[in-house]
This record gives sequence, structure tokens and C-alpha cells, in this order.
Amino acid sequence: MALTGLEIYKLLPQTNCKECSFPTCLAFAMKLAAKQAELKACPYVSEESKAKLEAASAPPIRLVEIAGDDGKLAVGNETVLFRHEKTFFHRPGLFLRVKDSLPAEEIKKQVAAADAFKADYVGIPLTLDGYAIEAASGDPAAFAGAVKAVRAASKKPLILLTSKPDVAKAWLEAASGTRPLLHAADASNWEAMAEVAKAAKVPLVARAETLDDLATLTQSLTKAGLEDLVLDPGVKGPKDSLEKLTTLRRLAIKKNFRPLGFPIITFPGAGGKADDVLLAAEHIAKYAGFIVLDTFDPASLYGLLVLRQNIYTDPQKPIQVQPGMYEINNPKDDSPVLVTTNFSITYFAIANEVEGSGWPAWLVVTDAEGMSVLTAWAAGKFDSERIAKAVKTVGVEGKVKHRKVIIPGHVAVLSGELEGDLPGWTIMVGPREAVDIGAFLKAMWVN
Amino acid sequence: MAVEIPKEKWSGTVREVTLGATREQGGTRTRTLTVGGETAMPHHAFEGSFPHPPALALEVRDRKPTDWSPLLLQAWGAAMDDPAAWAKAAEQAGAELIFLTLSATLADGKANTAANARAVVRKVLEATGLPLAVIGPGQAEIDNELIVAAAEEGKGERLLIGTCEDKNYRTIVAGALANDHVVQSKTPMDVNLSKQLVILIHDMGLPLERIIMDPTTGALGYGIEYGYSVMERLRLAALQGDSMTQQPLIVTPGEEGWKVKEAKVGEGVPAAWGDWNRRALNWEALTANALIYAGADIIVLRHPETLRRLRGVVDALMAA
Amino acid sequence: MANHKVTLLPANQTVEVPTGSLVAEAIQRAGLDIAQPCGGQGRCGRCAVFVKGDGARRRSTLRLSAEDIESGFALACQTVIEGDLTVSIPDQERIERRLVTDKTAKSIEVPFPYDQNLQGVRAFRVYLPEPSFQDNKDDLTRLEIALAGAGYPEAEVPLALVRRLGSVVRESDWSPWVVLEAETWNRPHGPARLIDIATDPIEPVALAIDIGTTTVSAYLVDLITGEVLGSSAEYNGQIHCGEDVISRIIYAGRDGGLAELSHRVRETIAELLVRLEKRTGVSPDHIYKATVAGNTTMAHLFLGLPPTSIRLAPFIPTVNMPVPIMAHDIDLGINPLASVDCLPGVASYVGSDITAGVLACGLSETGQLTLFIDVGTNGEIVLGTHDWQVTCACSAGPAFEGAGVVNGMRATEGAIEEVWVNSGTFEPTWRVIGGGKPRGLCGSGLISLLAELFVTGVIDRGGNVKLDLDTPRVRQGDHGPEYVIAWAGETSTGGDITLTKVDVDNLLRAKAAIFAGFSVLATSVGVRLEDVQQVLVGGSFGKYINVEKAIQIGLLPDLPWDRFKFLGNTAILGTYRALLSRDERDRLRHIARGMTYLELSADNSFYDAFTAALFLPHTEIARFPSVASIWEREAGLTPAGGAA
Repeated sequence: MALTGLEIYKLLPQTNCKECSFPTCLAFAMKLAAKQAELKACPYVSEESKAKLEAASAPPIRLVEIAGDDGKLAVGNETVLFRHEKTFFHRPGLFLRVKDSLPAEEIKKQVAAADAFKADYVGIPLTLDGYAIEAASGDPAAFAGAVKAVRAASKKPLILLTSKPDVAKAWLEAASGTRPLLHAADASNWEAMAEVAKAAKVPLVARAETLDDLATLTQSLTKAGLEDLVLDPGVKGPKDSLEKLTTLRRLAIKKNFRPLGFPIITFPGAGGKADDVLLAAEHIAKYAGFIVLDTFDPASLYGLLVLRQNIYTDPQKPIQVQPGMYEINNPKDDSPVLVTTNFSITYFAIANEVEGSGWPAWLVVTDAEGMSVLTAWAAGKFDSERIAKAVKTVGVEGKVKHRKVIIPGHVAVLSGELEGDLPGWTIMVGPREAVDIGAFLKAMWVN
Repeated sequence: MAVEIPKEKWSGTVREVTLGATREQGGTRTRTLTVGGETAMPHHAFEGSFPHPPALALEVRDRKPTDWSPLLLQAWGAAMDDPAAWAKAAEQAGAELIFLTLSATLADGKANTAANARAVVRKVLEATGLPLAVIGPGQAEIDNELIVAAAEEGKGERLLIGTCEDKNYRTIVAGALANDHVVQSKTPMDVNLSKQLVILIHDMGLPLERIIMDPTTGALGYGIEYGYSVMERLRLAALQGDSMTQQPLIVTPGEEGWKVKEAKVGEGVPAAWGDWNRRALNWEALTANALIYAGADIIVLRHPETLRRLRGVVDALMAA
Repeated sequence: MANHKVTLLPANQTVEVPTGSLVAEAIQRAGLDIAQPCGGQGRCGRCAVFVKGDGARRRSTLRLSAEDIESGFALACQTVIEGDLTVSIPDQERIERRLVTDKTAKSIEVPFPYDQNLQGVRAFRVYLPEPSFQDNKDDLTRLEIALAGAGYPEAEVPLALVRRLGSVVRESDWSPWVVLEAETWNRPHGPARLIDIATDPIEPVALAIDIGTTTVSAYLVDLITGEVLGSSAEYNGQIHCGEDVISRIIYAGRDGGLAELSHRVRETIAELLVRLEKRTGVSPDHIYKATVAGNTTMAHLFLGLPPTSIRLAPFIPTVNMPVPIMAHDIDLGINPLASVDCLPGVASYVGSDITAGVLACGLSETGQLTLFIDVGTNGEIVLGTHDWQVTCACSAGPAFEGAGVVNGMRATEGAIEEVWVNSGTFEPTWRVIGGGKPRGLCGSGLISLLAELFVTGVIDRGGNVKLDLDTPRVRQGDHGPEYVIAWAGETSTGGDITLTKVDVDNLLRAKAAIFAGFSVLATSVGVRLEDVQQVLVGGSFGKYINVEKAIQIGLLPDLPWDRFKFLGNTAILGTYRALLSRDERDRLRHIARGMTYLELSADNSFYDAFTAALFLPHTEIARFPSVASIWEREAGLTPAGGAA
């Protein structure tokens, strides 16, 4: 069970020596409780305390890492069922399935096209995480050729899909120098697969339809000396996925059930008649570690990657809206321009008030690191320079024919400086409270 | 080995709320819609009961919107010129609830009127036997005027009326009390605010069986994670027995999803975004889909194709 | 049904009433008056009477302490007659006095058995051997030997004193009086430093100063007896440069701003010194030590340090633990060689006023889980025991000081300090400081009014004024919906006194920030707020606050009233202690080093706690059980959490 900050504090030396870089032992203890610090930073903790604290902090889901020629992916190490409880840490990898039955050139072409996919989301580059090569041909030479073809076109990590140990062995040789994920061991082949995986030092997927069988299998594999395992519970549609993946996550986190404390791999395309895009989306939100897609379509991949980014955002950070320009009530070139910060509550207060007032308006939201107007101003995150930069970069100049901008009443003090930073603009000081915006515009906004 | 499957036992239940009234019940609807009643986290059918599937609604406006994506205009065609025809088309597309939104202005740019609101509500009620939601443009004064009129016009039909917000709820709640309707309690992405508005509305004497919460969600890529977590937290609180969070949840991914650039615009966007039509449909569907797993009870959509795709998900989740 | 005889004093009338009647009914039946400003709801306590006899059953004893009940007090509106009784009705003034008893300031006592050796400044006479041709050592060596003989080897003698040395030793007949500082906290083993040398006896005096953002307070302390010779307070002269610390920090960034702010606070202190000299006859030149507390920004400005980094993330001050300096370094108008000891703070927004407060309130010495709160423009909160302390600062804004509220004012004459609202008619009654016509509302009046409007249902739990109520007191005003407390004809300003929706929002935000601070501190260490064993309230604000109403609005946690203690200005009390004793000073350093500061802006949990608290009394009314029961009774509603 997780310990509270105070419980951890009682196990620490309580000398406030500051050598851990935190100002007090209690501050360090609270960071430990939040898993934002490591116990080894304390040079004076007793062996007895260390044992207690380490037992309480072992990750319930093993972190499994794979690597390509360039680029790594680590999944697992999750600690909660719902993202608001802390955060989801390791984004699931999205892989594209490639069949070895295609000619090498065709594989190269497909992979190169998919590998070139790169979308930008609020400055974060979104790409595929790797390729899952499937033994569809039945020809060991073709397998090896396919691996080489993919490696020629991409340096991303690989998943190798075969249930035949000899094929797996040949593949792993072709993939040497990387750390692919081998899929999969099942009740019939596990001993041989375990040997292959162990020799190549790669993580291995355990596949079984029921959780009983899956636990039996992982225990056998663990006994055989494998530590890095991934689970394939063979999910079908949305309902089956939700039940199995929720139960697996719960067993790991709430029951600390070691045999099933591993990341999960899913194949949304294997869901029969289910909509594979929506099923992949479910797997992103609900607990998959690796997701193998059957088709490459930017129109769905972009959305899935954005969803993954959203679900894995740290919810402890202040809720922010994206900085930029927001249109309210279909503004025209003579509509007022208002400035505020990107703290969501501030934004909503202003946006709702303006919307409710019926005034069409342009709302320029500055990047104030998610702080409210006064807090941001106090912390220097909502100053003249930042406001001027926002007004100049969001494109409002091209949208309005006037040059008047309304700043929140709480930062009236900035108006002088802002006149200097925004030459040609008239700075109007708006009300302090959002609720007065309607009345303010009525009285002050003259076209 | 036999794995002992952990099951959660919750003390709380989501309230059941019924929309629409049949002739026997004092209205004219041919069917009613009941949502809520869940006893476990969303679609954990393995440990709780889910008496009602999430309901799929389609948004219909009192006049053809000027700011909707061309893809939506294509999908609905001429039906959009007449709210009655649009509502009929929505029913045919599989909607279980018509979500009628009233505009702030009339086609001539003048403020919308109570008389127009009455006429539109009457028309739509006559065109379809489905339960109806009537939602104002979100501007306090106009909302109060239009929605009170709509509430009177639809007396006895057990409409869902809104928007109730923390700064403006008393008039609309009074309209619901007087005419036997259900209200939508809308708050901006915050667990506490959601709960507070339910308390305020309930304090006016409206039974909790007549309140549906709209937690506001945000579109995929535009803050959906906040709404998603707010919904999960509300549902957890509800199941833990916190009475004021036990209202069914209504969400509007149609509006949210189609408002953003990814769905609305086909030109001047990065090539990596892919085919516009498929992307736009995915945007609405992915937004809606995520909210189903967060506990949405009523999902208001805009595109009939999205409704079709979501129906597949709902059917699969509710399958025995 | 049985009738009972009720004798009413001092009128000496007797009435017969049936079992189950209220005392208030008996009084009315006798044709006598009793004030019931709250409309007989048992909330205001103004109908308190003495009862004698066994025939009284107290239904509610809100507003009565255990001692009150013991001595026979009962609320006429809440006391049921079940037997013969004698009831004496005290006159109204007596009741009012009883309700405001804690308002008289206590005289300041020496906080522990004092002995001048507990601290470092010593004054004594030294005897130097007269020089001769045989003994021709210089004056200074002669003094050094004498000091060494008195136990202060290697004492430093500053040049300024060496300059006077020759004449003083001769005029004093080789037996001058000296004042020295034997040690300071950073030089615990000396060497001693000479501060003064004189021909006449010296009675050493010291100064304790609390530099508040709004008010600067000072105690003049006799170092022989430890007693406070005089105290004085004055507005901080920096107010002209901004009302809150952030404005001052920004002001300090201007050309010459820092120098001006430093100068202004010194002027304020100089003014205090003039007053203290007038009152006590002690010359500032005989002040040989100053101990200073203040929030971190005030400390920086006092020392002339640029405070800029305090307001910028990650909020790091230049110094939390300054070493002693000399008075002439900063031009403080006391003896120029006196040492000035600025007490240690914790972080940018938890300064030495709070560490001194912790020292004074005893939090760091108790095994009881204690919450200490100092409310000013900033609310600082400390939670802990002798083992651990966590602290945070939350920006409450100035609403509780009467600022930022349309009809708000400071707690001076003409301020409404307590309000009762009748739940049937929504008519208010009030009490005004000084007893005249009201001019506005001070902090306690605002808290009181907000609580009354809430429990009588004039505003909803979100703070919205219910304009649909049938009373002219609610209306749409210039600033939105509002409630009228006093009509123009009843006020000294000639205008209506109102509380607007915007005011209510400001008050809600202020109380929510403070309550959220409590919640976050408690959750951060994993304790429940309900488990807090004592709540210590510091700051001048704390003295006048009505606990019951502060709980009703959700400003203070719903704990039994006897767990609250109001301590006044704890910052200066702690400074006084640190001045008197090196052990206390060490303890204070230990407190500052050991306190764990939580930066509330660092994560989301504060906003969550804040929005939860932005409701009356709180979104989770279950956290306020005593308020829930009143609310239920008043509003005739099932509170949140009940069945439909």
C-alpha cells in the first residue's frame, strides 16, 4: 500500500540536513509519496526504513522497454486506474502491422510512407512508434527479409509476430542490434519461445484467452527466467476489452497480483466487426501498452495520437486552455479584442460572460502558464511583453480594422508599458470582474 | 491457476431520469427515454447493472446554421431548412432524442422571440414522436425568454430544457417546475461546480429525478481530458454515495467536435492530418467514444454517420 | 395540560403558561419586551436570560458557553417551560457586553521568568586601574583587560567608541559604564562587542518590531526586567507605494523605488520611536538591540535587498535567514552600534512574522495537532505538532479587512461589526462600533452579514442574491444584484449601505482561499481537518472574528468552538520572546529550518479545494455538520446529501 507523506517522514532521519536537495525531511517524504523523488537521495536512511519504503514503492506493473535502431519505447509502471488519481505515465505505443508475405520493395515503400508521418500537436511531434511484422508467409527466409526491409526503411522499434520458435529465432538474428518485442508464447510453445527470448534478451508476449491461463503462463515464463513480459489477453470487441483490461489493471494495482503485473498488447483490428479506430481509442484510454493497427490512415492515426496525448497529460498541472485567438459570437472586423490568460477557469469565466452578453468579440488568450490574471501578473507571466507578443502573433491584426485592445482591470498598471510594446494600438482597461464585461462593452465600445 | 477476479461493490447508483411523456402520461410522445440507473463504473457490466444504454441524440437547430461545417450541410441537405424536416431526418438516422437548439437571432438578424420559440417547438413536437430537448443560445436574458416560452408550449411533454448555469438558473428551473420538465445543469469542466449547481437547482425544489448534468467536455485535442476526468470523478463520487453527483450525464461531442479546425476546415491544414471527411468524422466519433467510457448517458451528435458508428459501440457494450 | 408559574424579574410579574411554552412567550404574555433580532431562531443570542428553577429545558444553546449555561443563562426563544421558573431579564447592554468580552486587549506580560543573562546585551560598570609612570598601558588595553576580567576576553571595541574612550574613562574616574553584546545567535561564543561606554549608569533597552504590509508595530523592552515599557503601532509608510506585497515588489523595481521603500519604512519606525520616547522617556540612543520580524518582502525592503525574485517562479528570496547587522548599516534611528536581528523566515511567502507567530502560539511545542492561521491580506497557515510543521500562504485578498467591498471599511467607529437578519421578514438589525449611525461594514460585520444572508436564504449557497424574494431589501443595483443593510436615512453617509453580488463573490473567494489552504495542508500530510485539536488564530483580524459565523460561511473548519483560540498579533509576541532569550531565538531558528513550505501554485489540488470551498459553507456540507443542521432548520430544506 502507498504510504502518506507523514508515514514516510516517520521512517526518515528527521534531521533536515538538506542533502537530498529538499529543504526538510518532510518535504522529501511528501515528494517520495508523490513518486517525484527517489529514496536513494537520502544518505542517512536506516536499512530497516529502506526495506519498508522499498516494499511500499515497488511498481505494480513492470516497466518493459523495447528499442529499434534508433528510438526506444518504455511502457508499464502505471500506478492508477483513473488518470485524475495521479497521472498515466507511459503512453502506449502505436504500431503498424506489416506482413512478410509482401515483396521486400513493397514493404519498404509502405513502411517508408508510414515512417514519414509526422503531425504537430501544440508543438509536440506525433509519429507512429514502430512496426509489427507478421509471419504470414510461412517462409523463414521471407521473415528475415521482411525484418531487413523494415529496418532499411525505419529505425523505430519492432514487434515480431510469430508463434513458431524457429522462425522467431531467425527473426531475432535479423533484428540483432535492436530489442524487439516477441509475440507470442502460448500454452503450446512457451518453453521453446522462452528459450529464444531469453537467449536474445528480448521481452516476450504471453498470450492466452482467459486470465487464469494467462497467469499460469506468465508464472511458467517467470520460472523459466524471463522478467520482461507483456500480456496478450486476446481481446475481441469493446466489451470484452474493457472487462479484461480493467480487470488486469485492477489486479496489478489494487491486489498487487504479480503474475499479471505486466503491460498489455492489443490488436484492435482483431475485434471482428468492431470499428477498429474506435476500439483502438478505447485501448488508449483503457489500459493498453502496445496497440497494433492494421492500416495506416493519417485521418484516423492523427486523431488517435492526439487522444493518446490528451489522456496521458498530467492532470496535476493547472488546467489550461490553448493560447491563441478565440472567436465568440461570430466576431467581425469591428468587434472588440479582449486579452486574458490561459488558465481554464479564467478563460471560461470571460468566454461565458462575453458569450452570454451577446457581444461578438475576439478573445486573445496568452500563454500565462495556466495562471489566473492576478497570479500570472504577480509571477511575471502576464506582463506587457507577453501580451504584446500574443496580440502580434495570433493574427488578430488581420481580423480587425480597428486597433483597440481591452486588458483586464486587474492589470491596469500595465497599460502604459503596453502602449510602448504595441505601437499603434490603444490600450483600454476593462473591468476587474468578468461579470462586468457586458456592461463595460455597452458603455465603452464605440465603433 | 485460478485468478480471483476483483469486483468493486458500490453503495451508490446513478439516478434514473426519464425524458418525454406519452399520452397516458400527459404528453404526446410516442416513446420516452430513460437514462441512468448504472451501479458500476461506465460499462463495467461484469460487476454492475446497466439498465439503459447510453442514448444517442442528434442536434437540430431552429434555423439553418450559418457556421456549421460544409460536411454537415452536405449530410443533412435540404432538411436543415426546416426544423420539422430536420427532426424527422434525425429520427430516421436513429436518434433517440431530438436536441433542439434555439439561435440567439432570427434569420433577419433580429433577436429571437418567444413566439418563434413556441412555433418551432410546436412544429418539432408534431414532426416526431421522440422526446425533445430545447436548449437556449446560452445568453441569460434570451435564454430565459425563449426557454420559459418553450417550456409552456411543451407543458406536460417532459422536455429537457436548458441552459441552467450557476449565474442563471432560477428562471429556467421555475419554468421546469411549473411545466413538469427536466433541466440540463451545465457547468464548465469542474467537479465541484457540477455538484454545486445541482444543489442550487435542487434547493429550489426541483426533484433530483429531473436534473441532468452537462459537465462540458471539450473536443479531442482541445481539452477533452479535463472533461473526461471530471466525468470519471463525478461517476466515482456518485457510486460512492455522494447524492448530488448521481445525476445522469449529457455531453455534446457533436458541437465540440465540429467546432475545431480539424473537423471544420478542409483547406490550409497540414497534409499529415489526412483526408478531411474521414478526419472530421473521426474527430466527432473519437470525442464521443471517449466520453462513453467516462460515463456519458446522453451523447448529442451532429453527423448521422457518427451516430451509426457510435451505435455499433453502444450495442457491443450492452450486448448480453 | 399543566400550567406553570413563571416569575419575571426585575419587573417581578408572574404569569401562568402551559407546559411546552417558550420562555419568550411567557415574557411576551407578561407584556414585557425582549430583543429577538434573529426572529427567535436561536442564532443571535440577544434574548439570553437567567433562569432559576428546574422547569427549563434548553432546546438549543447556540451562542452560550458551558459557563454561561452553568451560571443560569438560557435563550428565551429556545427554552421550553416544563415547570415553575424564575426568569430574570438582563438589560440589553449587559448582554451586548457579555457577547463582546474578548475585545479588550490584554496587557503584555513577560512570557517566562526573565533574567537579563538569557539574552546577549549586558550593562555594567568596569573599574580600570589608574595609569602611572609604572603602569603606562594605553587606555584601550586598560579597558580590554578590565573587560577580560569581567569575563569578556578579546571584546571588540569599535572605533567610534575608541574615539570617546579617553575622555569617558577620565571623566568617570576610571570607572565607566559599558554596554556590550556578549553574543549573537551566529556568534554564540562571542567575542563580545562593545556597544556603548558612558560616565553615567545605563539602563539598556531593546526594540521588538513587526513590519506588517499594512501596520508596523513596536515594543520597547527593558532588558533588565524584560518588561514592555511601551508599545506603539503605525501604518506602514510604504502603503503609498502599493497596498500589497506584489505591488511593493514591482514598485521596488522602478528607478529609486527600492531606496524609497526602504526609506519609508524607516521613517515609520522613526515615528514610532518618537512616540515611544515621548511615552517612556527612553532615548532611542539607549536602544541597544532590535529584533525584527516581517514577511519576506518586508524584510527584504527593510534591509534594502531587491525583492524581485520573490514574485517570479520558482519564488526564491535573496535570503531567508539574515545575519545580524548594525543599526548604522541601515540607518535605523537607535544606537548606531546596536545589532539588528532580522528573524528567519521559511520561504518567499512565509516570512519571520509566521515563524515568530509559531513560536508565540506554542505550536512547535505541543503534541496536539494544531492549526495556526494568521489572516491579513495574505493568509498564512501552519499545520503541525512539535514533530513537524507544514505551511503555506494563500492570497485571500483584502476583503476581510473591508477593502475591495463597496461598503467595506476598517474596524473603526461607524463600522457595522455584527448583523442579524430575521428569517421571516429579511429585516436586519446590527451593532455599530461606537454605537452611532453606521458608515460601512468591517471584516467581522461582513462575515456576520454573509452568514446571516446565507442561513436566512437571502442568498443561495452559491452566493447569488435571490431577487425573487418578497422584500425591498433585495434589488438590482448599479453593481448587479444586492442586499440593502441600511437605508440612506439610517446611515451617517446619507447613502444606502449594501452588500452586492460582487462583494459576496470577493468574500467567497477570500474565505475559499483560506479554507482551501487548510484542506491542502491537511491532505498533503494525510491528516483530516476534523482531527485538528486546536486552531490558533493570529493577526489583528483574529481578535474580532465571530467563530460561529466564520464557521457558517466556511471560513473556519467546523470544530467545537472551544478548540479555537484568538491570540492577536502573534508576530510581535514571538519577536518579543526571541529578543528576550537566546533559547527562544534558537527555537525560532529551528522552527524556520524545520517548517516545510508548500507552494500552492505548483499543482492542481489547490484549485480543486478552492472551487469546493467556493460555496456556502462548502460544496461538501457534510464537512460542516453544525451548519447543515441550522441550514436545514432555517431553509426548511433537505441539505445536499439527503434524499430527494
